[in-house]
Amino acid sequence: MKKLHLDKENLLVLVGGGSGVGPVQGDGDDDAMDDDNSNPFRRMSSRTRKVAPRMAAALASSDNRTHAALARLEALENDNAGIEQVEINEDSDASLDDDDQVYMQKRQSKGTKRKTRQAKALENARKAPRTFLELLNEANLESLPPHVPSYLKAAVGPPSSTSRRHFCTVCGYAASYTCVKCGMRFCSGRCQNIHNDTRCLKFVA
Amino acid sequence: MSSSFSYPDFSNVVVLDNGGGLIKAGLGGERNPSTVLPNCLLRPISSKKWITPPPTTTLPNSDPLDLTSAAVRRPLDRGYLINPDLQREIWAHLFTTLLRVTPSHSSLLLTEPLFTLPSIQRATDELVFEDFNFKSLYVADSPSLAHLYEASRSGPTGRLVSKAQCSLVVDCGFSFTHAAPVFQNFTLNYAVKRIDLGGKALTNYLKELVSYRAVNVMDETFLIDDVKENLCFVSLDVPRDLHIARKTGRDNLYRCTYVLPDGVTHTKGFVKDPEQAKRYLSVPHGDAPSQLEANKKEMDEVTERSENRKREVDFSKNEFDLTNERFLVPEMLFRPADLGMNQAGLAECIVRAVNACHPHLHPVLYESIILTGGSTLFPRFAERLERELRPLVADDYQVNITTQEDPILGLSMRSLDLQGVGGDSSIECLKSRSFLASE
Repeated sequence: MKKLHLDKENLLVLVGGGSGVGPVQGDGDDDAMDDDNSNPFRRMSSRTRKVAPRMAAALASSDNRTHAALARLEALENDNAGIEQVEINEDSDASLDDDDQVYMQKRQSKGTKRKTRQAKALENARKAPRTFLELLNEANLESLPPHVPSYLKAAVGPPSSTSRRHFCTVCGYAASYTCVKCGMRFCSGRCQNIHNDTRCLKFVA
Repeated sequence: MSSSFSYPDFSNVVVLDNGGGLIKAGLGGERNPSTVLPNCLLRPISSKKWITPPPTTTLPNSDPLDLTSAAVRRPLDRGYLINPDLQREIWAHLFTTLLRVTPSHSSLLLTEPLFTLPSIQRATDELVFEDFNFKSLYVADSPSLAHLYEASRSGPTGRLVSKAQCSLVVDCGFSFTHAAPVFQNFTLNYAVKRIDLGGKALTNYLKELVSYRAVNVMDETFLIDDVKENLCFVSLDVPRDLHIARKTGRDNLYRCTYVLPDGVTHTKGFVKDPEQAKRYLSVPHGDAPSQLEANKKEMDEVTERSENRKREVDFSKNEFDLTNERFLVPEMLFRPADLGMNQAGLAECIVRAVNACHPHLHPVLYESIILTGGSTLFPRFAERLERELRPLVADDYQVNITTQEDPILGLSMRSLDLQGVGGDSSIECLKSRSFLASE
């Protein structure tokens, strides 16, 4: 493995000297290598490598795993899987029963008026549902005096004991091993293989 | 509406418990909320329109809506109103077609989550008065309603709560979990503690686990909700249960199969073998392995039958097995840290809420803990909570946990009760907030 890697590095240097396209391609190969190379203490070449900016940022920041964990927690509050689509649709009114028309009359009469594109965009921006966290930031609760109870102060706070039980992300049983690449947990070699094949991610974009 | 009630005023009071998951609504004077419907708009995969979901209280033989892969839009995020337009549509549907009331002739009793931001309060007021033109509005917070309801009940806890006039309400709902001390019908908001975990997060967590381990169900919110409600339970001893869940064959008391809808014969998923699903109950509560063995033999018969049944329909692949997921999902409420959240578990949350109160209140609060909210419906929830809480509480204090008869509907039953039992005070309340109507 090591041998192969070194050979590759040498090869890359050679190619890199020849043409401008070389190093970029070489990096691609190198990254592919990284994926199945589980040794974090591998020898690095002194050559400056061209890396995609997002990748570079991800490699530089140490709390990547924290980001990933937070993103995973955030996903638990999603209504629908995947990206939350922001949509302002006209037919939502039509879906209501006839009885509801009383309430909708006002809106519909407004809707028949012609609007410029800009006005429409402005209105949409105003009407677009905002997330609770945005509203929370807007409310500026930090500025309240310390004795006033608020949403932020009601949070229960960190647990008294820092011990965290780890469950295997693959099968759910007690996990004693950590993935060196992404920090997720697994319990056995079998689960490690499944983990590597399916959800091992070095960083979340 | 109900003629049996003597106060003439209450028939035009609309009681609305606007939860993140379910809306519980009724008219003043009724015993139970007449309408319960999901607080969301749906778009089934077959349609392009967003529709209001049918109330969950409809008759079971009425045409069920196919909720497979339905997209959902909710007006509430993390328990708070973020999309008043959406809420208006749902309420309009609720008031006109389900409750059949004219808002301009009615008053509204509305529950509001604790610590609602001023901007959200303003949006709610606008919705109530400007869009629906209600006569008056009374905003209640749920813990005090829960306390009031419990105090009005006859029973040992009810008597205690009404005598001491204080209780600790643990509301474990759809969006979050609150431990709120209530003293003389007022929530002590400086002592309230919150865990940012509720039924929605648990459903999503289960969804993630099943999608990764068995079938991709990331779009099936309603299906997984059903799985969670029917199959999940709270473990009393996690390491032991993990050990049992790991066994193969019939020794595994926790394995259970859930059948996915096929869209032809059944549009709803179901638990393949209800007996198999109930086998976890045979695991003894204490740590007595010998008893376990005895129980196992007893259960062998049942297993045999379920095994046979399993063989019958094995080739239909639209089903999945659950084992440790069944108790590891509700487990997160007790240890959010396991999920990577930097928050204390439910027992510690309760202790912190109590400690924030005056020391004289501590013994009485521990003695009257009221569990409410849909997520407390997991089997053995109260037992586990007591086990976790007992070591954290001083020995000379009693810990007494009361569960509601129906934690989901409880709130609106309570608010309806608020008008029935605490008649005079509620009239005052309605008056005190009616100045808002003039805005």
